[in-house]
Amino acid sequence: MRQAIAASMARSKREIPHYYLGASIDMGPSLSWLREQNLSRPVAARLLPIALQLKAVALALRETPELNGFWVDGAFRPGSGTHVGVAISLRRGGLVAPAIHDVDKLSLGDVMQALSDVTVRARESRLRSSELSDPTITVTALGERGVETVFGVIHPPQVAMVGFGTTLDRPWAIDGMLGVRPVVMASLSADHRVSDGHRGARFLAALGDLLQHPETL
Amino acid sequence: MTPDAIRESVRRVLHSIAPEADLDSVGPGTDFRAELDLDSMDFLRFITGLHAELGVEVPEADYRKLGTLDGCVSYIAAHAPAATTP
Repeated sequence: MRQAIAASMARSKREIPHYYLGASIDMGPSLSWLREQNLSRPVAARLLPIALQLKAVALALRETPELNGFWVDGAFRPGSGTHVGVAISLRRGGLVAPAIHDVDKLSLGDVMQALSDVTVRARESRLRSSELSDPTITVTALGERGVETVFGVIHPPQVAMVGFGTTLDRPWAIDGMLGVRPVVMASLSADHRVSDGHRGARFLAALGDLLQHPETL
Repeated sequence: MTPDAIRESVRRVLHSIAPEADLDSVGPGTDFRAELDLDSMDFLRFITGLHAELGVEVPEADYRKLGTLDGCVSYIAAHAPAATTP
């Protein structure tokens, strides 16, 4: 496991000219909407914020398809769908990032179900090898561990990695007034051979907008 | 249900979520989310497991009351549906 990660990450840092962008996103609307939803959902169907974040990533990629796919033989090959890899840490060490397929087309409940399913199977070493090679982009959410910002290393041959830190209450200026909002730092690491910071910024802006309108996810 | 029976159920559910964890190392008042390195998905599975095993439905607002073994025992004792066994 360690050697596989070492080989992949060394290749990434050797071959991929990364650029990195970060944006603070107000999670207030998403979290209030989620709290409301979860009041009426049975325990087994409750949603976590990560489900909204994954779906928002998948929808934002429609704006910037050049972040979704692979770099193969010196050229970009767009993904055949939006298959989002989710970084899952394993308790005995190491991590895997299996794909949740066609996240842009799933309901939030289905995203949550799929996430729960791959998490359990990852921890029990029951993932199919295709699930590990299918992702067209990867999301890492180190927020659980109190990390505020994560700039990921792209998993080759993918061309982008999205990171979410911990959502923390922060001072936030709205219309000239200072308030306190739950804020998450979203980051994008992307392959400069395929996209530029301008496009990457557009992706993060779309991601932030989507999370202000959770009812549309 | 006796506190001991509840405690046993809680340990069983925790074990199913973190089979490699040494539950004996978790004190009754210890925050086991931190101790066992449970993330929010693990914790949601824990809450789901308690519901399946004991029929207790925990609203999100009460999650923080279930962060320790003792917390779980008192919460479940107060909220579990009446036993239906004869």
